[in-house]
Amino acid sequence: MSEQSEHLVKSFDNDLKKLTDLLLRMGGIVESQVSMAAEAILRHDAEAATRTVEEDLKVDALEREIEQFVIRMLALRQPMAADLRLVVAALKVTGDLERIGDYASNVAKRSVVLAQFPAGYAMGGLSHMTGLVREQLRSVMDALGHADAEKAIEVWRSDRAVDDIYNTIFRELITYMMEDPRNITPCTHLLFIAKNLERIGDHTTNIAETIHYAVKGEVLPDARPKGTSAAFAIVRPKE
Amino acid sequence: MSTTIEQSSTHGGVQTRPETAINTAKIDIENLDFFYGEHRALKSIELKLPNRQVTGMIGPSGCGKSTLLRVLNRMYDLYPGQRATGKAMMDGQNIVDPGVDLNSLRARIGMVFQKPTPFPMTIFENIAFGVKLHEKLSKSEMEERVEWSLNRGALWGEVKDRLHTSAMGLSGGQQQRLCIARTIAVRPEVILLDEPTSALDPISTLKIEELIDELKNDFTIAIVTHNMQQAARCADQVAFFYLGEMVEVAPAAQLFTAPKEKRTQDYVTGRFG
Repeated sequence: MSEQSEHLVKSFDNDLKKLTDLLLRMGGIVESQVSMAAEAILRHDAEAATRTVEEDLKVDALEREIEQFVIRMLALRQPMAADLRLVVAALKVTGDLERIGDYASNVAKRSVVLAQFPAGYAMGGLSHMTGLVREQLRSVMDALGHADAEKAIEVWRSDRAVDDIYNTIFRELITYMMEDPRNITPCTHLLFIAKNLERIGDHTTNIAETIHYAVKGEVLPDARPKGTSAAFAIVRPKE
Repeated sequence: MSTTIEQSSTHGGVQTRPETAINTAKIDIENLDFFYGEHRALKSIELKLPNRQVTGMIGPSGCGKSTLLRVLNRMYDLYPGQRATGKAMMDGQNIVDPGVDLNSLRARIGMVFQKPTPFPMTIFENIAFGVKLHEKLSKSEMEERVEWSLNRGALWGEVKDRLHTSAMGLSGGQQQRLCIARTIAVRPEVILLDEPTSALDPISTLKIEELIDELKNDFTIAIVTHNMQQAARCADQVAFFYLGEMVEVAPAAQLFTAPKEKRTQDYVTGRFG
């Protein structure tokens, strides 16, 4: 987040830059995890699945490093105003990225199980969903790198599309399962995959909110544009 | 961009800035200017000091924050060529009005300085001295007042067995608390603190800060400090001064997390110059 003039203490600037760099590096790995997980489901790429899971170790290590670095900065630099917001934002973003990495790993693991079933399901929805989620994540990391609050807001708005596809996929899979009980196992995995992708979208949105706050000093409203929750309509008890 | 962003900004503003309820003004400064001869050291200052709360004043050296404190208890009257124009209203009276009675004004608005300035007398006399200028008290009343002041100054426990020894034998932190007790002794309404802890060690500093927190139940306090963390810890509202102007005033939590003015932002993050 670098639209500011330089710090009187240069090493403070170096620390802030290092913090942003660490986040961008972590974001890069997590992006690649999500891409590989998508390959794993869409192309039954077992190799990609394995690598997704392996990358998680790096992500976890980076999360710890960022946490330690943030605590050190709070103690030693006592940042104020925009600096304080960036340092606290880093702590939150690293947590969100770590979760995204976990969801990507989970998707990858399920892809291996799915590969054992005859492929008979339309993957168009999931393909579209992975595309959207990857694009969101890429944009949000861009927004972070350039301290771009407007771009963060765009990402924040776009999550609605992910929610909508998730609901469509949910209905579709329920239909398959009702048609033939043998579909239940693979469709359940697919459901979890879709849910995980939807959660990745949510965490990406959190990151967008955090970036907006760090840059502008203003919190976005609680109510984020959400898709209609058809998924809940089905599981909600009848009145 | 669409209206949603504007809405979100307004809405967000409320959330980010936990409302510190700022009380009504004890002193209301309007369009105040101050001159050292030709030099205009304060430029159209607008600031309210909320009743029974702490106002922190921060800014680089020479920005006018100490000058403002000096104006508020008319220190400048001692120096020819220095003058103030505009208003600093306290209970309907303009502090900078030449007709104001300075003795009673200074009894109402006390001041404590950067360097502890105990008189070369006993601890007891240090407190009693100022009281005698304003009130006629019997011996027992005076003893009571001295004990009360030292208690309020968080010093009683440390000095009660040596009240009649020289105040010069106290440590720096104790001397500063003695000066605060001396200021309180005349029961002022407003206390002005000009960098009261800059010559003290961290523990003495924290004792003074705890004292300030306690005193604001009864007094309106303004504190000038170079230590931003101190302003963050002590003050309900913080005013940032730069080159004789009051740039921004806001509740402390807002000023240190999301200041509105770029100059404030640059100063509190250490990007000045």
